[in-house]
Amino acid sequence: MAAAAHETQPATQHHTTMGIDNRKVLMWIFLASECLFFGALISTYLIFKGDSLVGPYPKEILNIPVTSASTFVLLMSSLTMVLAVYGAQHGRLGMMKVMLLATVLLGIGFLGFQAYEFTEFVHEGLGLTTNQFGSSFFVLTSFHGAHVTVGVLYLLSLLLASNRRTGLGHDRALHIDLAGLYWHFVDVIWIVIFTIIYLIPN
Amino acid sequence: MSHEAHAAESHEEHPPTTIREYVMIGLVLTVVTIVELWASYNEPILGSLLVPALFIMSAFKFAVVVAMFMHLRFEHSLLWKLFSFGLVLGTAMILAMTLLFWNDATDAVGGPEFHTGSTLNEASKPGGAPAPAKH
Repeated sequence: MAAAAHETQPATQHHTTMGIDNRKVLMWIFLASECLFFGALISTYLIFKGDSLVGPYPKEILNIPVTSASTFVLLMSSLTMVLAVYGAQHGRLGMMKVMLLATVLLGIGFLGFQAYEFTEFVHEGLGLTTNQFGSSFFVLTSFHGAHVTVGVLYLLSLLLASNRRTGLGHDRALHIDLAGLYWHFVDVIWIVIFTIIYLIPN
Repeated sequence: MSHEAHAAESHEEHPPTTIREYVMIGLVLTVVTIVELWASYNEPILGSLLVPALFIMSAFKFAVVVAMFMHLRFEHSLLWKLFSFGLVLGTAMILAMTLLFWNDATDAVGGPEFHTGSTLNEASKPGGAPAPAKH
């Protein structure tokens, strides 16, 4: 009887005693630790942004219209991501794949905007070692960009895996959900960074 | 329905949000972002209310994405507590560090005398060393 009950459980389920999959708990713990990581970078930026002895200074160089466009792109990528999760949870595989692809493309678009912004800044004389603002700005936004890059690769790997004959298996919805959690976190961190760096007057 | 799709549906509990609701949430987030931009470009109208207003709008967007897109509203309370713990610690660290360095005089080499002593007087003389620019 016990053996029969055991056989009905999919081999890949890892529920905790509270009924939550332990991979999901692990992801939320990771995201909580990321709050501290970005908290450190944001406080460093707030401390050093006004301490530059030489220019360019924030108000001279920040391009709000371009960054607003990239913010909109990342916001829309969160919408496509949640629709991919919806597709995975409701067995709509076509929708899931299309929305995953859209999220990957929007993520690449955001990285393109960031590459354009960095290139412009360097042309205008702001580098990593130019002044305090440059150092703290590039470190904060680069680490965020690195997270977006990891997210794009993560989603791309899921998209490729979902096209295999066996798909993503029994845990498909969970895999997409976990990737979605990571992606949305990258988005919410950008919401904070956008306000602190670009919108609040310098 | 494929076997894979059926298996996923039978083992997962889904949040009750519909596609239409997700799109509406996306629209609300877009509108709030436009309002943020408008406020940022119209600093004289809002005056001292600008920064608090921007923080409130940012916090609203943050909360909506975490609650509705990350489904934390529908998850077990343990996950909510775990994430809140990291978020509160991170926010507290930002506040503590910002307050610690709020007064620039504590940064200056030589302490507060630096600003009132001979160094500043030398800088104010014609041809003297330039005072550090603060922006």
